[in-house]
Amino acid sequence: MTLSERMLKIDRRIIFLVIGLCTLLPLLYPVGLPIKISPEVRSIYDYIESLPERSVFLLSIDFDPASKPELHPQAIALLRHAFRKNLRVVAMTLWVSGTGMADQLLTQVAKEMGKEDGKDYVFLGWSSGGTAVIINMGQDLYKAFPSDYGGKATKGIPVLEGVLSLKDVAYAISLGAGNPGVEAWYVFGKDKYKFELGGGCTGVIAPGLYPLLRSGQINGLIGGLRGAAEYESLVGHKGRAVAGMDAQSATHFAIIVLVAMCNLFYFSLRQQQGRSRELPVKRGH
Amino acid sequence: MDATTLGAWVATGLTLFIFSFLYKDNPLFKLAEHLYVGVSLGYHIVKIFDSVVVNLIYKPIVEQGEIALLIPVAIGFLMLTRYVPKAAWMSRYAFAFIVGVGSGLAIPRTISSFILKQIEDTVRPLVSMAGGDGLTFSMNLLNPASNLNAIIILIGVSSVLFYFFFSIEHSGPGKVVARTGIVFLMIAFGAAFGYTVMARMSLLIGRLTDLIEFSDASYGRPTLWLAIATIGALFLLGRRSSSSPPQSE
Repeated sequence: MTLSERMLKIDRRIIFLVIGLCTLLPLLYPVGLPIKISPEVRSIYDYIESLPERSVFLLSIDFDPASKPELHPQAIALLRHAFRKNLRVVAMTLWVSGTGMADQLLTQVAKEMGKEDGKDYVFLGWSSGGTAVIINMGQDLYKAFPSDYGGKATKGIPVLEGVLSLKDVAYAISLGAGNPGVEAWYVFGKDKYKFELGGGCTGVIAPGLYPLLRSGQINGLIGGLRGAAEYESLVGHKGRAVAGMDAQSATHFAIIVLVAMCNLFYFSLRQQQGRSRELPVKRGH
Repeated sequence: MDATTLGAWVATGLTLFIFSFLYKDNPLFKLAEHLYVGVSLGYHIVKIFDSVVVNLIYKPIVEQGEIALLIPVAIGFLMLTRYVPKAAWMSRYAFAFIVGVGSGLAIPRTISSFILKQIEDTVRPLVSMAGGDGLTFSMNLLNPASNLNAIIILIGVSSVLFYFFFSIEHSGPGKVVARTGIVFLMIAFGAAFGYTVMARMSLLIGRLTDLIEFSDASYGRPTLWLAIATIGALFLLGRRSSSSPPQSE
């Protein structure tokens, strides 16, 4: 058996181990590679910066714990920024499985920033209907969410003063891990009720959202853990996403090397097989 | 043991059980997998019951007297007739309502947002070339809004659409266009795959970050103890399966 054959039949658990070590070691011993801010992330930051105090900022936490490593740091960084700017934060989710997690993260950041429930922020929770909830909110926010997550009637909550529907929202961001998510917020929300919209998403769906960004349908996009790290850098509060960037770079490098090696061994093996096929033919002549 | 510490032990244990699949399929992985399905289903049922049945149906009807809500409730109940063969035809009215409303809401909005808006965005940069100062052309490849990129996007959109146009044979100049479409598709698949790899690695980073955090003494070092327990269990299970006689078919 040649080296190429042996390498192409390598136990896949060795590859798992290599990837595991490439992830684990930079997490234990961080190098602090520089993080370049992309224009799509900066435009979200700049837009929030430009909002006047007490503007209504809607954050739709459209993911569940399965996408937590990528979207949780994005949500934390955005909330820190919004609270620091003293915006009125209205949070909600279109994913029933993400309700508990969304409530926990909002409460945690609000406590850290010294914000008060009902006065500075509200968590509306989840309402049934998927994308129809967005349309319902566009018509009457209080019909879509008669009560907040804690069961308190939404009518009369100070943070929602003057807010009747989505038309009264200054800026909305959907952090989506699928459907309903950023696309649904554009199709059934921004396109119909004309408010500014930004998006945050997992790495898997980011390429599909770039056409919306280019056409101006969303004004910015935070893509995956990398986007979260960029936003954390902009906010100046480095957290889990920035800490994970070294590991991300190391694993990407390892994968590139593995792909290159695999191709090298594959073509080398094919060449050897081609030569061995030619030999008997030449002998026959 | 407080709730946070207990949560750390449960999360660490389940993470390690799931990771054990990377070695080979085993009962620990199956336990974690079944727990995940069961717990998430239970969570969904409780949340939907509380949010929909209690907050959106029971309270408005009983406490606020919104009798009109009985109409959607009745339509919802028609769905349940699927379980009674003789009355199953009634569920069609509920389905017809859902399909009708869903299509009515989705079709115009989707056409407007994805088709018309994207066509407009593909053509608009070309139109903008002919500005008030005459014909201008920017060649910067790094600027997404440059005219050169607009032309590349137009070629990409047209050639990919042509590749999926099967009414004429892809030969001669048509073959060149279709091949160009394949090149654009391959680049798009490559970009999507790259992002997918990044996303999966992010998930691994998330779990490993938690495992590192839970190796702290304040949690009772669950990562260390449960890793030893998981490896030990895998070793014992491996020995048991190798010593058990092969089953006859």
